[in-house]
Amino acid sequence: MVKKETKSTNQLLVELLMTRVAIISNVIEERGKDIFGKDNLLSTEEISDYSLEFLELFVTLLHAGETIDRRSSEYKALRRFFSEFSHQIQVRGSNLDEFVRYVQFLQQVFIEGLEETSSLKFEEIRSILLLIASVFNDILLDVFHVYLDKKESTIQAQQDELKKTSTPITEIWDGVLTLPIIGTLDSSRTLMVMEKLLSRIEAERAQVVVMDVTGVLAIDSQVSHHLIQMIRAIGLMGAKAILTGIRPEIARSLTSLNIDLGDVSTRSTLSEGLKEAFVHLGIHVDSTDRREIV
Amino acid sequence: MRGMHLTAIGEGSILLEPGAGLDPLNTDLYLEPLMSFLQQEKARKLIYDLKNVPLIDTIYYNWLVHIHRLCSISGMEFIVANMQPTAAFALSTTIKETPPFICALDVESARLSGPT
Repeated sequence: MVKKETKSTNQLLVELLMTRVAIISNVIEERGKDIFGKDNLLSTEEISDYSLEFLELFVTLLHAGETIDRRSSEYKALRRFFSEFSHQIQVRGSNLDEFVRYVQFLQQVFIEGLEETSSLKFEEIRSILLLIASVFNDILLDVFHVYLDKKESTIQAQQDELKKTSTPITEIWDGVLTLPIIGTLDSSRTLMVMEKLLSRIEAERAQVVVMDVTGVLAIDSQVSHHLIQMIRAIGLMGAKAILTGIRPEIARSLTSLNIDLGDVSTRSTLSEGLKEAFVHLGIHVDSTDRREIV
Repeated sequence: MRGMHLTAIGEGSILLEPGAGLDPLNTDLYLEPLMSFLQQEKARKLIYDLKNVPLIDTIYYNWLVHIHRLCSISGMEFIVANMQPTAAFALSTTIKETPPFICALDVESARLSGPT
């Protein structure tokens, strides 16, 4: 009696694909054109190349062993393909939904192929379905990770931009810099501002820095510590720090926290701070309006 | 003097430029010879040029404080000038108080500043 050789799930799926490769390839390519071609996200050639590459990688993976090995280079190559594909689509402006629908469609194509095959037993069909589900679940996870990574990097870039623009350092007079502080002062922001400020003091030979805190929402011990640190660094460079815009709430907080600003000059408004800067520089401002008094 | 270059720059001001051989840990090596020189020159102001000092740690800071004390005892003014942004940045995070010595933007500002 001849014992019938049992085929592995991988082998069964490869045979299934080989009998229908032309149809599957066409269907995948047409669907790709529907999804990515209408908004010109991918050209016809790119869709064709991607479809072909996907099939090649998938068949290579199935040929690599009796079972799918998640640690194999073939498996990693397939996942990397989808990560890069997803990244390219997002860069060109597509949304996540479209790509997920496309991946789910690919999965559907293989499952539909099973429906048209009557020679497979129930156990064989079940194992093929499980294999397909497992592989495509991993692919979808990778696609989500790419999407999330891009979102996080966009958010980070926006936060960095906001940090930069919310503390502009302006030279409003020869040797006088202003630094309006808006929002809160955390450690990373303090570091960034101090680095820029001290470089500017050196570059402009600034003698006075007017720090306006009108835009500071709230002051706690940490914020005041950072402020004092900045004032101290300005002093070490040989420049004078003038603190302006201390609102009543901020003054109350500083008092409650028992924070001593030392011998830092403080003025209620930016204009008062500027006058103080002029006094320090020995500059006298006089009006040119010579109205005749009758 | 080993480790520092001293120059009279007029109007009773002496410029001290620290060199590569300066050892801020061994303050006793320098204070007496420095004071001798300052008294010999009838100095009223000592200006310490930090342009070649990229970083000031606790040891270096204490060295500067020692010189300040030395000058104070002798009725001289002590001013540091040309502190680098990196040094100011690092020092501001290290020290917990305003330094006892005066800080000037550059040597010229230090020279022109009046005695306290």
